[in-house]
Amino acid sequence: MRTTLPVIVAFLSGFVMVVSFFFGGALGDLDDNALQWVTIVGGFTLVLGVFSILRVNGKVVAKRGRDWPYKLATVISVVAMAIPSMLPVSTNTVGGRIFYSIFPESWGSRMGTGPSSIYDWLFNYIDSPMMETMFAMLAFFIASAAYRAFRARNAEASLLLITATVVMLWRIPMGEALLRLFSDSLPDYINMYVMNGFNVSVQRGIIIGAALGAASMSLRIILGIERTYMGKG
Amino acid sequence: MASFWDNIQNIDRRWIYLLVAGAVLFPMIFVANFPIELTPESLQLYNAIDALPDSCAVMLTFDYYPSALAETEPMSVAALRHMFRKNMKVVTISNIPLGGPSIAERVTREIAKEYGKEYGVDYVNLGYKYGYVAVMHGLAGSIERIFPADNTGNLLRDLPLMQTVKNYDNIKFIYVVADNATLEYWISIVNAQYGIPVGGGVTAVMAPKMYAFVESGQMIGLLGGMKGAAEYERLLGILGTATRGMNSQSMVHLVIIFLVIIGNVGFFFSRQDKGKRNG
Amino acid sequence: MVESMSFLDHFQIWLRAYLILSLFSFLYKDNPFYKLSEHIFAGLSAGYYVGLIWQSVILQQLINPMFDGGQWWLVFPGILGILMFTRLSRNYSWISRVSLAFVIGNTAGIYLVSELHGKAIRQIWATMIPLDGGSGAASTILALIVITGVISTLVYFYFSKEHKGLMGATAKIGIWFIMISFGAHFGYTVMGRISLLIGRIEFLYYDWGGSLLSIF
Repeated sequence: MRTTLPVIVAFLSGFVMVVSFFFGGALGDLDDNALQWVTIVGGFTLVLGVFSILRVNGKVVAKRGRDWPYKLATVISVVAMAIPSMLPVSTNTVGGRIFYSIFPESWGSRMGTGPSSIYDWLFNYIDSPMMETMFAMLAFFIASAAYRAFRARNAEASLLLITATVVMLWRIPMGEALLRLFSDSLPDYINMYVMNGFNVSVQRGIIIGAALGAASMSLRIILGIERTYMGKG
Repeated sequence: MASFWDNIQNIDRRWIYLLVAGAVLFPMIFVANFPIELTPESLQLYNAIDALPDSCAVMLTFDYYPSALAETEPMSVAALRHMFRKNMKVVTISNIPLGGPSIAERVTREIAKEYGKEYGVDYVNLGYKYGYVAVMHGLAGSIERIFPADNTGNLLRDLPLMQTVKNYDNIKFIYVVADNATLEYWISIVNAQYGIPVGGGVTAVMAPKMYAFVESGQMIGLLGGMKGAAEYERLLGILGTATRGMNSQSMVHLVIIFLVIIGNVGFFFSRQDKGKRNG
Repeated sequence: MVESMSFLDHFQIWLRAYLILSLFSFLYKDNPFYKLSEHIFAGLSAGYYVGLIWQSVILQQLINPMFDGGQWWLVFPGILGILMFTRLSRNYSWISRVSLAFVIGNTAGIYLVSELHGKAIRQIWATMIPLDGGSGAASTILALIVITGVISTLVYFYFSKEHKGLMGATAKIGIWFIMISFGAHFGYTVMGRISLLIGRIEFLYYDWGGSLLSIF
């Protein structure tokens, strides 16, 4: 029961999509309904992750464990973002009528996830800038790595290094002007032979290999051979 | 005792960070604009959009996280300007759960205001639904089944634009701006199975892979990173954030190339020194 | 434009500038400002999911269509979704497998077709082109590069047979092709990361700098 039922469900769910490709109309609305259901059921997995974050951080805060003030900041941030987004925006619903009989109705525009909401403000002015910065820091690390580790140790590494340098030059206006000093067609040749030739051939090899791998893995899931997604127990 | 070249190689990483930051900042203070040259891929995308009939409906995706905003937002902005200039009806969607719908909301409203476009009539932001492959497939049957309401909760049946846009049959082009694998599925599902032309812009990290899809004809045109966005801005005749950023981009690339050369010269000489000492 | 900024505009700019600088401070060394920002970031990102799923799934796809639209059958995906939470229980976590299997099975069904039909076959098709079918020598050279690269890359990544003899020689060519492609990839990656940094420093220089100038 614990493994058979999920295997049957996965088989039917996958089978419907495969059949719908070959005999689209034969299934009626079944495949469209399945797709709609997936977008609903899958959505809950994202919230499940949030519960885990709250549970793990909440435990540390309750026990005053290591770095608990920071964990508390995480918990407060989750709540500050989540609660206003879930509150009603108007009196159109039963929940809205109850809520705004207690609180001023002008709060409505600040609730939900719309453009003037608390949720949107927190995202635009706190969350988004931080995420942008986290990834911007990689620029420093990649520059440092290029200086320390990018070495022409052998023929293959030299090939990689030369191509990287040429592409870095080609992708900047100043570099393109520099390349044209050698030959007016050089930037066009880089695009044609390096990017659309050597690069495309390798990427294509990888795409073909990965696609065959993904297709066989999908088949294994549908046939119930691959069950690691179920976890232990 | 460590030689000069050993010391050069073991320089504190923070000096490198400072050099990089300085290289970004320098062209902002002392501006020197170099012309942005076009690649055939960006021209192909521009021409594809330009060749579409005025006032037709197109889809623009915001499939990127805030982390990639510096590269991708200029692409979305340029795409919207191009589409609104041609009075196209734009349906935006996001397959990214963290930030995508909010970014789409902010960017589309800003640009629509410039062109005097009305929400619900000229453009609609569908927002996000879980599971991008299921969403992409589902939209072929009925947009309303997957998105009963738009990003802010307006029912689709109340939005005039969505009375004429029911599924892919009513969409002429899908312009994907992405920082992840969703573009591959717009191509392998929507283009391959439903025949809708797909083109778009991606982050520089993704661009080399996407060349394979342009070359195979599965994708029309490609913008790669900030340079790609700058090329599109040039085609539209606008001086946007990508064009402005290319000055700093140039300077930092030159600094990194310089660092790679110094690092390799150091590596070569320190290896020679060690050889002499051991020999 | 800078002069007409309100207190809220200034506050928003300074808040963002503080967050950027607190995160950048990690480049010098780990510190409490960085740690606090990092934890707030994690919390807000998690909270974002809650709002998104509440509005786009629970309200828009379940509650409203069921109660206002009479689509009662949506109660089934709703139950399947709620069953996901049994994952949090030690004794009943197996129930969540049913919901998970439904989502994963459906996705696998889509992948099975799209990976073969939309990727593998199309990419193979695009590789099998006549060498003299293009416009002159350039396209012949290009076609030769592509076919050699695709075959040698596939051989390099094929580990079921030892890389000896012809296999070994082809794999060696594959490595050279891969190095060129990865070099191009590295060049592009550097470009991408630098672009993100430019975005942040532009904000500090133009926006925060503008705010500073208008205040002092």
